[in-house]
Amino acid sequence: MNDDEMDELLIQSTRDYNEPGAVPREAMWARIQSERHGHRGSGGGSPNRTRWPWIAGALAAGLVLAAGIAIGRRLERTGVSNPSRVAVTPAVAPRDTGAKQPPDSMVKELRGETRNTQQRVAQLVKEPSSASGAATPESDNLAYRLVMLRHIAGSEAMITAFRESARRGEVDAQIADWSRELLGTTRMLEASPVTQDPVMKRLLEDLDLVIVQIAQYTTTGKHNPDDLDLIEQSIKKRGVMTKLRSTLPVRTLPAGT
Amino acid sequence: MVSDGFALLAELLAVIEDPRLADRQLVARCVAGDMSAERALYDAHVDRIYRLMFRMAGEQELAEDFTQETFIRAFNRLEQYRGDSALGTWLHAIAVSVALNGLRKVKRIRVRTEPIEDSPRLAVQPKGLTADLKAKLHTAVSALSEKLRPVFVMHDVEGYTHEEIAGVLGIPVGTSKARLFDARAKLRLALAAFAGDHIA
Repeated sequence: MNDDEMDELLIQSTRDYNEPGAVPREAMWARIQSERHGHRGSGGGSPNRTRWPWIAGALAAGLVLAAGIAIGRRLERTGVSNPSRVAVTPAVAPRDTGAKQPPDSMVKELRGETRNTQQRVAQLVKEPSSASGAATPESDNLAYRLVMLRHIAGSEAMITAFRESARRGEVDAQIADWSRELLGTTRMLEASPVTQDPVMKRLLEDLDLVIVQIAQYTTTGKHNPDDLDLIEQSIKKRGVMTKLRSTLPVRTLPAGT
Repeated sequence: MVSDGFALLAELLAVIEDPRLADRQLVARCVAGDMSAERALYDAHVDRIYRLMFRMAGEQELAEDFTQETFIRAFNRLEQYRGDSALGTWLHAIAVSVALNGLRKVKRIRVRTEPIEDSPRLAVQPKGLTADLKAKLHTAVSALSEKLRPVFVMHDVEGYTHEEIAGVLGIPVGTSKARLFDARAKLRLALAAFAGDHIA
């Protein structure tokens, strides 16, 4: 066998050298986004700044309430959900109510909330306040619970907006980005102490599945009734909206409070 | 409407005249904070980069880590991209650097890259062009040096041209050809006994 023949044998035999399988695009993208937002979130501020002490927890509680109420109110004003029965009624208003899609500016604002939450989670994951001695593990737990509530509020808003746009046969590119951002936060929370609570763990697993489906669907940019049906089945089968709302106490506040 | 059509046509012609214009425009949008542009950049290059990372690493987990790290670094350094090379070449250069640095740090990869001559399994001479030949060849490829293996994998396994490899690795085209020649020579040597037995 001469060199050329040997080279031919080499090339033939190495075609399947470390043959890659399918590219896990969405999973990698979600982790890239999480990592990048994490770095951004921890980039500024004084290095001696105390993270998440109890006082910050109390302030954050106020922020959660404000964010939850803001999200709920804004969706209510646009008719996406029913204001008086939000905790128990289906997420999507009936077709004949003439429900409207949240305007772009509102989606942007809600996505801003999502990014803020993602940054807070990334910050907590990277530098827990208890690790630096600035606070106790209890304060970390509270901080995680607060960001979890923010995440739930954002997820509910995104899923509601997605269902509305899907009902009209539209595929909203903004929701594609939004869902990927939420997926990143979900994944970070799945790896956090939040999952010590089995209820939260299950909720995050359900959210992960549904948000992945929405991210994949919206990324294609094409309306596909079969895929939509699968997403809707996942949401209903796992009772995702009910779980989200029952975990989000602020949404049960009567209108006007 | 007509002016929009002309504008689009002018844009297309500009891109045809300068293929890197589209890259620069996409990068500019990313730098401006356009998330859809970031996603478009990712979608355009992730498959090829992931494939190369998998070929280099041989493990899904590592391939994912290297691919993610590549894009994270790229996004963080996008402002440094000047359009001197194609965006794909620039990204691949980051990817290969990430993979080589990462592989150095991973112990289990060192096990895989143990020198071929140290392997007792080479004493076995199976008959026929079997999976065993492939296994031995793959071990031999993994045992190539850091300089030779990327060139061999990119050229003979993934089908990159010498010009592309030179751009990614920052070496002259001639060096890429020389390294491929050396890589093949080492593999021929490592497999000579096996192949000789097979041919005989």
